[in-house]
Amino acid sequence: MKAKEVIGLIMTLLSLIIFAYEVFYVGLTGGRIGVKGEVTSDAMLISAGFLLILIGPALWLGEVPANLKKLIEAKTGRRLS
Amino acid sequence: MFVMDAIPVIVILLVVLVIYGLAYVFYGKRILEKKVARASPDRLTPAYEKFDGIDYVPANKYVLYGHHFASIAGAGPIIGPALAMAWGWGLPLLWVLFGNIFIGAVHDYLSIMASVRHGGVTIMSIGENVMGKKAKYIFLAYVWFALVLVLAAFFSVASSTFVGTPTAATITVLFMPIALLFGLLVYRTGVSVKTGTLIALALLIAAFFYSLNTPLNLTYEAWVIVLSLYSIIAAALPVWYLLQPRDYINAYLLWTFVALAIIGALLTFNYAFTGPIYTSFAGPGTLIGALPGTAAGRANVAYFWPTVPLVIACGALSGFHSVVGSGTTSKQLSNELDALLVGYGGMLTEGAVSSLAVITPIALAWSFAGLATATGLPVSEALLKVGINATEVPVIIRLGGADRFAVGYGLEQAVAWSRVLGPGVFESTFLTFRTFAAWALASFVMTTLDTSNRLARFAWKEMFDWLEPRSKSAYRVITNRWVGSIIPVVLGALMAYPQIRVYVPELNEYRTVYAYSIIWPAFAGTNQLLAALALLTAALWAYAIQKVRGGTSLLIMIPALFLWITVTAGLAWWLYAIVPGLPPLYQAGAGTIVAISLALDILLIGLFVTGLKRARL
Repeated sequence: MKAKEVIGLIMTLLSLIIFAYEVFYVGLTGGRIGVKGEVTSDAMLISAGFLLILIGPALWLGEVPANLKKLIEAKTGRRLS
Repeated sequence: MFVMDAIPVIVILLVVLVIYGLAYVFYGKRILEKKVARASPDRLTPAYEKFDGIDYVPANKYVLYGHHFASIAGAGPIIGPALAMAWGWGLPLLWVLFGNIFIGAVHDYLSIMASVRHGGVTIMSIGENVMGKKAKYIFLAYVWFALVLVLAAFFSVASSTFVGTPTAATITVLFMPIALLFGLLVYRTGVSVKTGTLIALALLIAAFFYSLNTPLNLTYEAWVIVLSLYSIIAAALPVWYLLQPRDYINAYLLWTFVALAIIGALLTFNYAFTGPIYTSFAGPGTLIGALPGTAAGRANVAYFWPTVPLVIACGALSGFHSVVGSGTTSKQLSNELDALLVGYGGMLTEGAVSSLAVITPIALAWSFAGLATATGLPVSEALLKVGINATEVPVIIRLGGADRFAVGYGLEQAVAWSRVLGPGVFESTFLTFRTFAAWALASFVMTTLDTSNRLARFAWKEMFDWLEPRSKSAYRVITNRWVGSIIPVVLGALMAYPQIRVYVPELNEYRTVYAYSIIWPAFAGTNQLLAALALLTAALWAYAIQKVRGGTSLLIMIPALFLWITVTAGLAWWLYAIVPGLPPLYQAGAGTIVAISLALDILLIGLFVTGLKRARL
């Protein structure tokens, strides 16, 4: 695994833990995440999870999918690296 | 004020659907596709020819339709018509129908087709082929400024929506991982699209009901920061990874949203609108960004003509669409014949959002007491649940643009479903559909936030292509993906961040004015001017390259010239009447951008005339 992929995997796992904690624990027990008119740690944490989950899997599994590569090669006749 | 009780909801529904159906077949297919673009399934599109795995990636036509529709829809088709209801519901509806068919859908379709025929470059670079190199750079600079205003307005709209309806924030945050999961399942694990869709939709429904009882609260300023970071990250990710799966899933949400609006209109078919068809040709100045409480005078008037395009943006037409069409959409088009559904159809669907999901519900629910009397339902009690006192706020028009839409949509749905399921469900359906409406708005806006940043990056890169042969290293630094993304976001966020507290004498209270109320007319005006320029460029492309002549050519050129005159006059009025009364930040930011844009616009129209003369020789 390349360093980029390891970082991506860590970010993905971290974001999943954050989502699980905020959604199932904070949200279900408290009936809300964060407090109206305030910036709380819970609200910031799920926002961070939201951003991390966008980047994490992209770094971890980021290359062009094989089936998409095949389709382009078949249509254009050029080989993709 | 004129209330036209005789027109029931069903009439408007039928008029809108029939007009759009006829326009699609007779203007879209028979004229634009067959006579102007002469689309062919045999030409290989840039998605294949220039495949790069990031921006040039072929997409299924329904996925691309979802992407194009969700990207162009933004907050424009919702906030604009909601604000324009201050003129009554008749004039905004007319403008949406006219603009949609003769301008909006035309520039969407032609910009996609022109771009596809030029290797997927933007409409600005197509300008070079028909108006010369100078036009290309002026056009690119113009678009880049316009995109900064789009970002500023939409950061503000999304943040204020999340503050006003925090349950919509929860579902929006949960929606993204679900969309990513769908993409990874389909692309990586070999799960079929059908199974992946079912899994994603099941999770989405669960997330929606979870969100109804779990608001996510953050302050307005914190949302602006979070959304800015989102915009930077999402715009840099490969399209197949986030954009395509998200927009595919989005399409289901958006279709549900439009379908429910149609069902709502069908179920409330015999109710008359409680709002007026026409109030006054001279609306309040707040419609075009004057601060509330401004004294009567030049700053407190917004004449329907020429200021309507400063209020109703994407619902009728929008230059931003041409940039999307020739930016992200054309790079993913896998067959030229898909462009009619994606471009012309996508824009008509957006018009349906404005007319059926915004104008119709607000006109129906205009007077809260009137709606309660007509339906016999506890309207005031339901409104109190979301903090609206119907005695203090007796008409929907007193609410802000985003709230006006969410409450109107929620009330129409609640009235409709109460007819089927009984009056006992009125309150719960109102709360559910109000959140659903806010989610749909947020979903439109989130898509636009990263698409517009991606487009700003494209424009930025093309703007500096002259540097590449002179200094490759400087070119690489300046056009770096992250540099190109961060600059417009920072400028947009700076304008969206501050809120203004103003005293409103009529209400005898201070009110917070979100930045979008002030930026909106600048964004809308610059954007509409861009629409005129894009349509003129497309018309010139049809004339000079496609050799289209006679009535067909005039059918494209005349609306474009009419729009150019209207928006130029509207923006001049805005600079003269509104800008002097704005806080210094907005005078310097939005005011300067609009003034520069107007100057560039005059230069471009000169180049257009030269290009047209050259093409005639």
